[in-house]
This record gives sequence, structure tokens and C-alpha cells, in this order.
Amino acid sequence: MNLSTFFNSVVGMYLTQSFCHSVIAAMITDRALKAWSIYDPLVRQRFRLIVILFPIVSFPLYQLINPARSSVLFRLDALFDVNRWLFLEIWGFIPVSLFFVLMFVATSLVFFFQEMLPVLRHTLDTEHPEHEGTHLDVDPFMGEASRRLSIKKPEVLLIDDDSPILFSTTGKDAVIFVSTGLSRALPPEQMHAALAHELAHIARNQRPLLIAVFLLRIIMFFNPIVLVKFRRAVRDEEKICDDIAVSLTQNPAALAATLSVFYQKTDGPPEPDPRKLFRQPVSLEEYSHNLHLGDRIRRLETGADGRGERWGVPFLITLLTIAVLNYFIV
Amino acid sequence: MIGEVDMNKTLYRFLSFALMIGLLVLALKVINWIPLAFQQDAVRRYKTVEEVRAALNLKEIYVPSYFPQQISWPPSTILAQSKPFAAMLMEFTRADKRNTALIISQSEGTTLIVENPIEIREVTEKVQYPIKGRNAVLTVGFCRKEEPCCGITWTEGKYTMTVLMKSTPFELTKIVESMLR
Repeated sequence: MNLSTFFNSVVGMYLTQSFCHSVIAAMITDRALKAWSIYDPLVRQRFRLIVILFPIVSFPLYQLINPARSSVLFRLDALFDVNRWLFLEIWGFIPVSLFFVLMFVATSLVFFFQEMLPVLRHTLDTEHPEHEGTHLDVDPFMGEASRRLSIKKPEVLLIDDDSPILFSTTGKDAVIFVSTGLSRALPPEQMHAALAHELAHIARNQRPLLIAVFLLRIIMFFNPIVLVKFRRAVRDEEKICDDIAVSLTQNPAALAATLSVFYQKTDGPPEPDPRKLFRQPVSLEEYSHNLHLGDRIRRLETGADGRGERWGVPFLITLLTIAVLNYFIV
Repeated sequence: MIGEVDMNKTLYRFLSFALMIGLLVLALKVINWIPLAFQQDAVRRYKTVEEVRAALNLKEIYVPSYFPQQISWPPSTILAQSKPFAAMLMEFTRADKRNTALIISQSEGTTLIVENPIEIREVTEKVQYPIKGRNAVLTVGFCRKEEPCCGITWTEGKYTMTVLMKSTPFELTKIVESMLR
């Protein structure tokens, strides 16, 4: 099977059209968020979910509405026909479709190693927990906060490490891990803010909607746009949990101060060093991590959270625009 | 006053969004046109068979020399490409009703998919049918609205040929015979 035959098949059309539909959806949602000045992370995440979920169903849905949509005549009058680019040949012998295949393969590998494997490891850890650490008593705060979030109070374990570490395992018996280094660095109100943030993660992970979104997102494993947007949605999740933590503690300054403990100060992106080619991604990751933390700290300090915005009409307009426009993109 | 400011703000937001959509549509149209400008071989509409010959350098185009009276010449639609594989499709309408009555397709790869107005929905007979030394397959049946229709498929050199017609097999075989030497 050559590339042109593959991209004319149902599977090929699904891959290319879902990619194109996600590009258009991403552009439209980004513009909608700017046009309507939407800053609430919960609402922003809902908009991003359009980009992640819509391309999964768009192609089969459109084909169901109009089976002739994949015909040559429809393609000739379409707003954008991706096949025109796919069948283009650079210097008369390198098909553009080859670059599409490479892009899909690279994205699939990134998805598998950076998303799927860590999730599988986390799931296994949660199913067979090896909780090593000493119990940390943070009551009555933990009991009260868990009750307000309607979740079972998780255990808090202190692990012996000087670095500032804070994470939680989800599932039926969730556990929050705090390093001794962090425990020493944080005064009680900041420790409460940190634990409230983790409680928010535990509470939100128990909602089947988020799990369903991740399971559906797996279908788009090849799609680089979905990969990026899913990561942004995960970053929104951090901000959503910040908001929940603030609602529990009523102390945004304490959470901002807690986040600054994790912030490693850098003056800018790392300079490229050819001798350290393989170490570069780690530095970039740290830089990106810092940028995100900096953004969260600023947001908590300025209080510009945009909560309570009206978003129903813009959301509907955005969704309809994406659905209509993508119908003419084949 | 505050209500008016809110109204203006809302209007501005809608306009800003609409403007961006307009620009996006425009950009898509341009991006869609670029490959056509660079690659003459891509699938497109043509007005005449001669135009296809000249543009795509297709040496062998199979056109019937016999047409029943009810089929009008020239073809109502001609689609052709030479990349990624050579393919051409001609649609002919019925002189009186103006609806598609005959489709001739020749292709090196898969047949160009069109909104198939001649789709044999109920096959009553499918037989091997030798035609001027070629092993053709003749399919007879009914299209939509119980309209009799039939089709012939065979291999002609590097091309797969398909001729579909809303008629009896008698007319169809005469058309196909007139296409072959």
C-alpha cells in the first residue's frame, strides 16, 4: 500500500482530518478565549476539551451526515482539502505525506513514553501502594477540608528527603506524601495551603469525567495538537486546584509562598550547548516548569482569576463555529 | 451608562471573534489554492477532453464513439488528475431529464470517488462478459427508485475501466465496444 492509497482510505482520512480539525479548533478556541477575555482556568479547560474531544468524533459524524463528503466533487469545492498538500511532491519525488507520517509517528512515541508509561506506572503504584513514611498529623485541618470536598480523609505521610517534595496517590485510599525538607520549610498556614492543593487533586481525580476525557484522549495519540492542548488542560488543572485550595484556606498568599519554594530561579531559557545536547531537554523542562509556577504565583498574588465569568454563550458560539467550519475541511 | 458600556464590550467581543473567523476562512482558501498553483497534476475540473489531454499529457483517454440518442455530449462533468495516479472521470446527462445517466471512469489506482448517482443497489446478475478480447465483468441490477442500471469493469493496459449506465445492458455494451479498438 503506497502513501496516497493509505491517505485515501478511511483510516488515512480519519488521521488527517482529525488533525486538521484539531488545528482549526485550537485556533478558534484560542481566539475565543482572547476575544471574550476568559481567564477562569475551569472555563479555559472546558474550551480546551473541545480541541481534545471534537476531532475524535468529527470525521465519522460528518460522514454520517453526508457520506459523499469524501468524494472528489466535495473536495474540489471544500474550504480546505488536505489531500492537495499530502499529494504534493517536493522536488518531484518526496511526498509531503511522508512528513505527515513522520509527525504522527513522532507524536505517538512522545505520547507513549511521556504520557502513557507514567500513567501506567502511577496506576500500578496506586493499586499496590508501598507507603513508606511516618504519619504526619495535620488535623483538624485535613478532616475539615476533606469533609468540605466530600472525600475520604487521605493519610499524610512524611518521607525522609531534604528536597521540597509534595505529591499524592489517588484511588480509594489516597495518600499525600510530604518530604521532611518541605515540612521544615513551610510554616503551618503554608502547609495547609499545600495540603489543600493536593486534596483538590484527589477530589477532582475521583470525578469520572476527567478519567473519561483521558481515556478518550488516548484515541488521538498521534495528534500533536491534542498532545499540546492536553498538556495545557493539565496545567489548567493545577490552577483549578489552586482555586479550590484558596477556597478552603481563604489564604492565596500562603499558597503563593508555598509555590515559590518549588520555584527555581532562572533568568531565561537555557543557552544551547552542543556539548550537552542530551541534557538540554531537562533544562528546558525546568525552565518551562518555572514559567508555569511563576504564572501561578502571579495569579495568586494579583487575584486575577476571572472566576464567575459568563461563558455559556461564547462556548456555544465557539463550538458551533468549529463544527460548521470543519465540515468544509476534508 | 454602565449597561451601554457592557453592550459595547459584548459587541466588540463578537466582532473581534467574527473578524478572526473571516480571516481564518480567507487564509484557508489561500492555503488550499497554493498546491493547485504549484501542481498542475492535482485533481481538478476540466471543460473538455482536449483540455485534459493538453494539461495532463494523458495519451490514452477512452471516449466512446457511439452514444445513444438520449445521452447528451459533451460530458457534464470531467474530473482528472495525473498525480498521485492518473485518473479521469466523465459524467454524461440524459438529454431530456438533465440527470446523470452515464459515468465513464479510467484510473491507474483507486477510482475517483464521486457522489455516485449511478449506484447499483440491487444486483440481479453479475457475469463474466468477454468484450473485444478483454475479460470484463458485467453487473446488472437496479439503482434508486427501482431504475434499471448496469455496469462494466475491465482492465485496459494500466487502467481500470468502469462504465456505469442507467439503462439496459444492451446500450451499455454498445457504448463500451465503441470505446475499444
